[in-house]
Amino acid sequence: MPAQPLPDFSTSVRLKYVKLGYQYLVNHFLTLLLIPMIATCVLELVRRGPEELISVYNSLDLDVIHILCSSFVIIFVLTVYYMSRPRPVYLVDYACFKPAPSCRVPFATFMEHTSMICEDPKSVQFQTRILERSGLGEETCLPPANHYIPPNPTMEAARAEAQLVIFSAIDDLIKKTGLQPKHIDILVVNCSLFSPTPSLSAMIVNKYKLRSNIKSFNLSGMGCSAGLLSIDLARDLLQVLPGSNALVISTEIITPNFYKGNRRDMLLPNCLFRMGAAAILLSNRRRDATRAKYRLLHVVRTHKGADDRAYRCVYQEEDSDGHCGISLSKDLMAIAGDALKSNITTIGPLVLPMSEQLLFFFTLVGRKLINPTLRPYIPDFKQAFEHFCIHAGGRAVIDELQKSLQLSAEHVEASRMTLHRFGNTSSSSLWYELNYIESKGRMKRGDRVWQIGFGSGFKCNSAVWKCLRTVKTPVDGPWAECIHRYPVDIPEIVKL
Amino acid sequence: MTVSVETRRSRVTVYAKSTAPSLTPVKPGKTHEFTALDHSMSRHSVHLVCYYRQAPTVTMTALKESLCDVLSYYPAMTGRLVKNEGDGCGEWMVKCNDAGVRMVDARADTTLDEFLATATDEEERQLAYWEDVGSDPYLWSPYCIQFTDFKDGSMAVGISCTHFHADPTCVAVFSRAWSETHRRALVTCPPFFHPWAFYPRKNPVPSSPHLSEKSTIPPPLHPPAMSSVTFAFSASSVRQCLADLQLSNLSPFDALASLLWLRISSYKSASLGTAQLTLAVDCRRRMSAPLPLGFYGNALHFFGVKADLSSGWSHIASELNCHVSGIKEDDVWSSVEWLHERSKEKAFQMYGPELTCLAWDNVPVYNAEFSPGAIPVHVGCRIGNAQGEGLVVIMAGAPGEGEEARTVIVTLPTDLTAQIYRDEAILKYGPKIMFSPNI
Repeated sequence: MPAQPLPDFSTSVRLKYVKLGYQYLVNHFLTLLLIPMIATCVLELVRRGPEELISVYNSLDLDVIHILCSSFVIIFVLTVYYMSRPRPVYLVDYACFKPAPSCRVPFATFMEHTSMICEDPKSVQFQTRILERSGLGEETCLPPANHYIPPNPTMEAARAEAQLVIFSAIDDLIKKTGLQPKHIDILVVNCSLFSPTPSLSAMIVNKYKLRSNIKSFNLSGMGCSAGLLSIDLARDLLQVLPGSNALVISTEIITPNFYKGNRRDMLLPNCLFRMGAAAILLSNRRRDATRAKYRLLHVVRTHKGADDRAYRCVYQEEDSDGHCGISLSKDLMAIAGDALKSNITTIGPLVLPMSEQLLFFFTLVGRKLINPTLRPYIPDFKQAFEHFCIHAGGRAVIDELQKSLQLSAEHVEASRMTLHRFGNTSSSSLWYELNYIESKGRMKRGDRVWQIGFGSGFKCNSAVWKCLRTVKTPVDGPWAECIHRYPVDIPEIVKL
Repeated sequence: MTVSVETRRSRVTVYAKSTAPSLTPVKPGKTHEFTALDHSMSRHSVHLVCYYRQAPTVTMTALKESLCDVLSYYPAMTGRLVKNEGDGCGEWMVKCNDAGVRMVDARADTTLDEFLATATDEEERQLAYWEDVGSDPYLWSPYCIQFTDFKDGSMAVGISCTHFHADPTCVAVFSRAWSETHRRALVTCPPFFHPWAFYPRKNPVPSSPHLSEKSTIPPPLHPPAMSSVTFAFSASSVRQCLADLQLSNLSPFDALASLLWLRISSYKSASLGTAQLTLAVDCRRRMSAPLPLGFYGNALHFFGVKADLSSGWSHIASELNCHVSGIKEDDVWSSVEWLHERSKEKAFQMYGPELTCLAWDNVPVYNAEFSPGAIPVHVGCRIGNAQGEGLVVIMAGAPGEGEEARTVIVTLPTDLTAQIYRDEAILKYGPKIMFSPNI
């Protein structure tokens, strides 16, 4: 008689409740321990009565010196503790650039231009295939210079694009927060592929007449994850400067980077990169705590550049015809997965609840000591965060992360919809995704957000934010006019 | 001693080409089908050029923005030609794939007034950039809009399109809708897409002797080089013409069309006898169920008028008047049905090769105000591929010149054009001569 197959324990309802019980027990361990202790103490005090308490106090024989010294010690310890805590960094508000619909690039227009500009029909076919499977929509925008046949990437046009996207975002931010330009203490700008002299940060100082003692920084060449690097830099500076605020601008200027050649590994950015920018206001002032939207909890940076394969994975170079382009290697997804694993290993202990950490620890011990074939335990990050903002680098990136972090469709919805509506806007895409979540009315007080950025180097950076006040809809931003149409169903292949 | 005639270098330079998308994406799967009339016009193209004085809101950037806006109402304009495989008829139709219209940026090395006074026929042609369909119709934009900046900040907007999509009235109505969108005003003639407007009647009577005759004419082996000249008749000149005709009930069109017919024919052959003129008339409003002015597509009725040219100008004018006012709706339908029957065959030349006249003066063309109160200084209209004996386009003149003012654009074989714009009988009425050939 064939043995009955064992019931699948992992899906049994009973096991689910066991797991829930275990999590509650471990995560609230201290509470569960302290409450009975406090209850016992109180009962004991009540039992003994006030006279006994006074007699115990008198028997201690304390005089003024003892009391003063003890209070001094307590106050000293508390002061040292509070002074040595890192300054909280608040995200007062942020604004994303909303491109004008006249800049949009429907698929048909893109393919027509490509056919007219590209001499090699195989490249045209390749780009058609990429666009069909890209997950982009018909409303993504390219800068005006890229609408010409052939594109006209002059430095003037690149500066014009930079001015358009950056100044629009900053103007929006000023309107939202009432920020006065002369009160900005720190300015950090990141734009990987366009680095003129004077820098983009100088351009902003010039336009908004910022103070002469402003601490300005311009990060270039750091790839699509540079947005979180700028936040990290601003945070570090805010630890050193008390009572300051920082303006962080994340953008990518597309105009100078149109690839004119035929190498397949370099054609992807043409198809996926789109115009976008974000302006973020950070502050460490106590009075901003009441009006800030988020507080920065952690920033974790992982750099895999020491490995040659990871270093060459996203590489800007000239092809055999002398055309400059960014080549993406075939192992990009594998390297990204690797970098993510390293990042998770560092961020896990900082954010995961104790229950998950214990399970991971025990599985790790088990694998090392008892049975090496035990499946590694992938911690459930859904318990640490309510919202996920995954860099909208491409459909493959989002799919890969959804699989490895075991996220549901709703968790990656913000990333997918941002890719559809705005394309790959590089470092600013995380902010468009955050705006999507807010516009949908899903951001509540106490929610934690995990922003994950990937970029050349190869780098994987994470930032963890905690929401300080529920964000009410409707939200003014790039999603304002189209949020009611989302989420949309994005087909696997759009037939062109 | 040899006298060398140097053709002057053109002052118009095209420096950039791009594509304008519509502001709102088109719903996928949308299509636009052509009527039999559209198919019949597929060999020609329409070119409309409007000239505007400098105004703060009339800049290339602002016009491009409002162009994208108005294109949201015209999904057929931003689509591409594909063969209709669905119904099995294999005819051309428009797949509204949201590809956009081609835009061309140009500059003219002169001021607007100097251009209008001294530009040649060649230079005016260069204000409406046009590329014929290449090897792949799917990548070809049926519309092309050129923006030309003049030295004094004035602008010329040139709209070119294939006659397959639209007739001159349709293009004029589009430019009006565009100007209204630019001013953020209400669009008075929104586009009306109705490919069944010219579907054959229940009991079709397909017959068009004129068109049947035209379809049998073989295309000329060596089409002559054509050139154009524009005559701008002021209201007083037209009134003088009408007075000279000494007949009542004649319209400015009758007077001018007959005058030109007579004069052109007199240069072609010394002796005048019975001749035939092909007339093209917009019949949107002539149907018993009239089509709105915004009807998108072709609604031109072609028919022949015979007259004895030796019997004098007045006789010819009254013949024209008779025929134009006496167009019967049945004739229009018969010719539509005849075209419908042969729609699968290759289209033949409609404007020409015999002498043709387009009666377009009943359509307002000076109402495309991009800046409030600033109507175009001048509007010109040309038809592409009208080779042969010639084409006369009679359109409304600038409102500033009076209600009876007319602009007449005459396209003839080059040697005839040279003679016609020096013709005493025409010059007697003092028309302003513009855009003469570079001779």
